[in-house]
Amino acid sequence: MKIDTITNFSEKDLEKALSKLKRSIWVYHLNTGSCNGCDIEILDVLTPWFDVERFGIRLVASPRHADLVLLTGPITVKTLSKVIKALRAVPRPRLVMAIGSCAVGGNIWFESYSTIGGFYKILDKLHEIDVVIDKVVYVPGCPARPEAIIYGAAILLGLLKPKKHYKRVEA
Amino acid sequence: MYTYLSKLCNVDANGKFNEVYLNEFIQSIQGMARIEEGGTDFLRIVVLKDNLYNVVEKLLKIKDVYLRTMVSSDERTINGFFKLYYIFGIDTLSKSVIVEVPLTENDLIVPTLVNLVKAVDWYEREAHDLMGIKFAGRNQYRFVLPDDWPTDVYPLRKDYAIQDLMKLYTPKVIERAKEVEAEAVTIIPIGPYHPALHEPEYFELYVRGEKIVDVRYVGFMVHRGIEKLGESMKYNQVPFLAERICGICGFVHSTSYCQAVEQALQIDVPERAQYIRSIVLELERLHSHLLWLGVAFHLLGYDTGFMHSWRIREQVMILAELLTGSRKTYGINIVGGVRRDIDEDKIRKSLEVLKNVEKEFKTFIDIAVSVPQVKARLKGTGILPKSEAHALSLVGPTVRGSGIPRDIRKDYPYAAYRYIHFDVAVQDECDNMARALVRIDEIFESIDILRQLLDKLPKGAIAVESWDPEPHRIGIGSVEAPRGEVIHMVITGIYSPYRWRVRAPTYQNLPAVPIMLREIELADAPITIASIDPCFSCTDRALIINIKTGKIEGVPLYVLSRKKLEAVR
Amino acid sequence: MVQFLKILPISAKIGTVTVMYPYDRPLVTESFRGAIEVDPDKCIGCGACTRICPPKALSFIQEGETLILRYFVGRCIFCGMCADTCPEKAIKITKEFELASDQIYELYSDVQHSLSICRKCGKKFVTRKLMNKVKNLVKELPEELLELCPNCRRIESLLRTTTTR
Repeated sequence: MKIDTITNFSEKDLEKALSKLKRSIWVYHLNTGSCNGCDIEILDVLTPWFDVERFGIRLVASPRHADLVLLTGPITVKTLSKVIKALRAVPRPRLVMAIGSCAVGGNIWFESYSTIGGFYKILDKLHEIDVVIDKVVYVPGCPARPEAIIYGAAILLGLLKPKKHYKRVEA
Repeated sequence: MYTYLSKLCNVDANGKFNEVYLNEFIQSIQGMARIEEGGTDFLRIVVLKDNLYNVVEKLLKIKDVYLRTMVSSDERTINGFFKLYYIFGIDTLSKSVIVEVPLTENDLIVPTLVNLVKAVDWYEREAHDLMGIKFAGRNQYRFVLPDDWPTDVYPLRKDYAIQDLMKLYTPKVIERAKEVEAEAVTIIPIGPYHPALHEPEYFELYVRGEKIVDVRYVGFMVHRGIEKLGESMKYNQVPFLAERICGICGFVHSTSYCQAVEQALQIDVPERAQYIRSIVLELERLHSHLLWLGVAFHLLGYDTGFMHSWRIREQVMILAELLTGSRKTYGINIVGGVRRDIDEDKIRKSLEVLKNVEKEFKTFIDIAVSVPQVKARLKGTGILPKSEAHALSLVGPTVRGSGIPRDIRKDYPYAAYRYIHFDVAVQDECDNMARALVRIDEIFESIDILRQLLDKLPKGAIAVESWDPEPHRIGIGSVEAPRGEVIHMVITGIYSPYRWRVRAPTYQNLPAVPIMLREIELADAPITIASIDPCFSCTDRALIINIKTGKIEGVPLYVLSRKKLEAVR
Repeated sequence: MVQFLKILPISAKIGTVTVMYPYDRPLVTESFRGAIEVDPDKCIGCGACTRICPPKALSFIQEGETLILRYFVGRCIFCGMCADTCPEKAIKITKEFELASDQIYELYSDVQHSLSICRKCGKKFVTRKLMNKVKNLVKELPEELLELCPNCRRIESLLRTTTTR
């Protein structure tokens, strides 16, 4: 049963959708086999000291209601089909925030027989099977600080520009 | 009460010392096994597989013996055998007994011990999955590895390096996607057991009406190949890997690994380093119990409690960052000591934060526990009888809530716990409320221990100058984590561990969940599962299989739980 | 029923603890370990940091005539072992944690070293800066021996010792 009926979702549509999402994003938390360090920092972002509910952000129970998917963990081979199923159920525009060193680069497990090693490795394969991810933001950290998660959300929505850029210096 | 006293005086009901029982045991196995030198901390017994059942039966006659872990190891490059190590612990003597069974490659069938020691069930399945050792008299199926793993490839054997394994099995993203689509259109057949679940959820609850009839745990979604990876890293890189086994109680894993290597190589860690390790361990216990309280209140629907617990907990996280450099996954352990020091200024700030936390927590918890809805939900649910707790060799607050005072800090002392005084928190009621009260008592106890440690911090070096590795020595390190006992076993190699075995406390405690969940209402399931304090995101979702109608629905746990709150109001 | 209302005076007394993060300072303490920075003037390209890094976030990549030390902040675990191990103290631990980005390649930073070439076989075996440092430290050995790759140096030393006898 295909739910992705919008087959020509273009850049302009994405910009229009993002401009409507400036506040009150509903997020869905997807744990693909992490150690739970980043997961408790995500829960920490909801508690009184950091309180993202002042921006209207809240956790939802089903990917169908979600605007943004928070992904943690190096994707283990046992959870791979769950990840595909969950991402396919998210309606367009699909926004993903890869939180923590495991989801960005695979952490110490970037080369193990039981993990894929980071979200960027399956990004192209997902596009092949018609699960197009419109925008991804990578938030490094082990575990990622709650302030870094808020900063990542601000970049995703276009409120701030990223500070880290590629640079090469001569020794 | 009597067991507690008897532990103090080292006598049992007949007035005999357990030491005498141990000597009798050694006498009785003279013909069947060989005793090897193991040092003062453990006793090594080498036994052939035909005599294994008899030796273990005699060993279990000693009182207060429990199975700590079982390790399977591929030692063909050292002495030509596969080996199984069963590690038992005798609480009252602070001694471990290792039963070694050597096996040759063409005869890998071992008699099963499941009828004697219930706790050995999961260990045998794991040894079969990862090392290929077969156990006669029981059925085996895929446990840890995914279902489509090639049949004769056993990852932990030394035949394969990690790169070879990655060539033999690559997860097929496109095929999985097609599989997932196909599942969406098949009709779910009616029946109590459902065979077509490709990717089952964590707990399968079989219900009849509102009462739970049976539970099956399917898991190991988080298997990342840590033991195999540790064999390819150097000694001082492994603590960082060990710390990321669990993000909530990571420091206990790195301390336990370091203690195992230090015991194997007889390294003398300076006292200041041991005090610093104990301080950070107790800080971790504080933050973990406050986290558990918040999650438990959230599952019961009392969100105010959740917010207040985590508000109090945040100060502990900031203090940990001040002392070690990072909010979680501290990264200060290396073999032979620690990397960062604590100076006078930090001690002063820590004492201030602890005073604040104790004051705020005391006012908050008196109110939270007396809320009538919370009391009604926690009392009388999730009963775990004392006999079952003993038979399954459980650990941690789960077993201390059922009246057995088992605590590694007292039974097998490590780090700086020999030098301070504290009490072990025990309750007798065996229900969810008892386990919650044990954890609340431990929070106050931890604050007291921290004050003693910060007071008595001795001067000196924080790490050993240098140490030399020697291959093929065995070491065991165990630490009392917030969830129970963590035990690591290391067989040393030249630059990296030859074999590293990790056993987390939830692995030992999860077989208790089906017993606690029988014949209780569905809405009490989440708090019962959460009361053993599993790594929480593993038990986030549950699958309910209705036997009568054959319907399967996936529901988040807290939604299940909230339904009863309406009824209790 | 009245018991749990006692929580209200506690909440009123404590007030708001929220740190309004983007408009207010974050809660970073003095010992926090953030991303690292490699000082290009001090780094000599010895590779000690690449061997100790647990997730291999620091790695060497050979690109033609140059050797590049690549730091991938996306895989870094912020342990600080590289800073402890560097013999030149070229790695500094900053307090930077605002590292999010939407492209993976933005998370790399490179330090480029030029390589010195073996006089005999032409193999590029070590960076020029490390060669100069070794020359300064080991003044007893003649320069012609030092500027050879290990294989050629073994052969050359053997020839020297046997022919001078």
